Amino acid sequence: MLLRTAAVTVSVLTALAAGGARAEQDSPRKINVEAERFSFSPSRIKLAVGEEVEIHLRSADTAHGFKVENTDIDVEIPKRGKGEAVVRFTGTSEGRFKFECNRMCGAGHHFMRGEIVVEAKGK
Amino acid sequence: MSGYMEMHLNSPDDGPAILDFHRFVLLFAHRFTDRIRFVGELEVEHAFVEGLEEAGELELEQAYLDFLISRAFNVRAGMVLVPIGIINERHEPPVFHGVERPFVDTVIVPTTWFEVGAGIHGEVGTGLRYRGYVLAPLNALEFSAEEGIREGRQKGAEANVRNAAVSGRVEYLSVPGLQIAASGWYGDSSFAVPRLDTKVWVAEADARYRLGRAEMRAQYAHVGIGDAGRLNEAIERTTGVSPNVASQLRGFYVEGAWQVWNQGPARDAALFARYENFDTQFRMPAGFVPLEEFDRTAWIFGATYYPDPDVAIKIDYTTQKSQSGFIRLPRSLNVGIGWWF
Repeated sequence: MLLRTAAVTVSVLTALAAGGARAEQDSPRKINVEAERFSFSPSRIKLAVGEEVEIHLRSADTAHGFKVENTDIDVEIPKRGKGEAVVRFTGTSEGRFKFECNRMCGAGHHFMRGEIVVEAKGK
Repeated sequence: MSGYMEMHLNSPDDGPAILDFHRFVLLFAHRFTDRIRFVGELEVEHAFVEGLEEAGELELEQAYLDFLISRAFNVRAGMVLVPIGIINERHEPPVFHGVERPFVDTVIVPTTWFEVGAGIHGEVGTGLRYRGYVLAPLNALEFSAEEGIREGRQKGAEANVRNAAVSGRVEYLSVPGLQIAASGWYGDSSFAVPRLDTKVWVAEADARYRLGRAEMRAQYAHVGIGDAGRLNEAIERTTGVSPNVASQLRGFYVEGAWQVWNQGPARDAALFARYENFDTQFRMPAGFVPLEEFDRTAWIFGATYYPDPDVAIKIDYTTQKSQSGFIRLPRSLNVGIGWWF
């Protein structure tokens, strides 16, 4: 299965407070994602095969979850004003990786979903 | 388990102050597998439930299974929230300003509107979401002049499905901070009196936008009730009183809010103002005269303070006016506290 063969997860960093320690690496593309009842914005993240991205997750309201299917990315996005969660993701082969809020956040919780699309370079 | 609660103090200028534990809501979730999930929402309204009394209500507002098939296509079945308007599916106390929900979301869109049924939902492209359900219809014999279709909700309680209703919503979420949506409902609601042809439709559009410290939201909702003249006659034969149900209801509101304190919890507060215009007698069937006291406007001014993003302490001043020269609607000072956990 494509999703299972793609080795993707590089690291999961949670920076709940400013100044969270993080090893400097080649600077990956930074993507800001805002979570709000009941959506992620953007809900689709595109990257090229081999590209590493750093996803900064902030909430506009309550605490949310961010779990990427078939990876070990599973973090809590802190409540509004209480920092951010940061995860890194590298797509090693083409595929689609669904993500979702996995922390009950209200009546429309199950609508909070999105996907990471890994495409061949030049697509 | 999660949930939310809200407690209100309503002090109108024409009567005694009321202290009410308005809502106590518990949400339950269970995951059978990654793709089959359950959500339930059980609500106690007004703290106390007694049989056959006009007191509180114990309501099963949600109890559904989601079959998550793909991002674009999923199936849901059970007790679901009707996907109409800003508030009906998104009503946790910290997410809206004002102690009480908007009037438009009470007498035009009858929140909390939930019903048994099944349907599909998903997202296509970047931020284009949809949902569509087949549901039990409304019971037109319960419609009224003052509250429109509100009392017609069957609430999944041995609901009559001689006819089915359909409801859907489309949301556009691609622009950060902006949500634009349109929704609708349609169903034959005269199952209790089959010779009537009471087809009911609800059309609704709404938008929310957040930019820096500013937040704006607006909603328009319109309801059509077919065969309303004969419906009034049928109800009058049963009750002895004509309910004066309109053939069309209409309401809208606009709200602006400004985050006056945004240094993070617990230094987080907003001021807001909302104008509402709602008329449950907007168009009348032939031979019926509109009751002007139900053509109403309201201004709500207030503040929301967040000691924590999941706790909202609210205060507002609400004034209502009607087109009637004889009936004066109350002004009220309202204080509330609501929380999510």
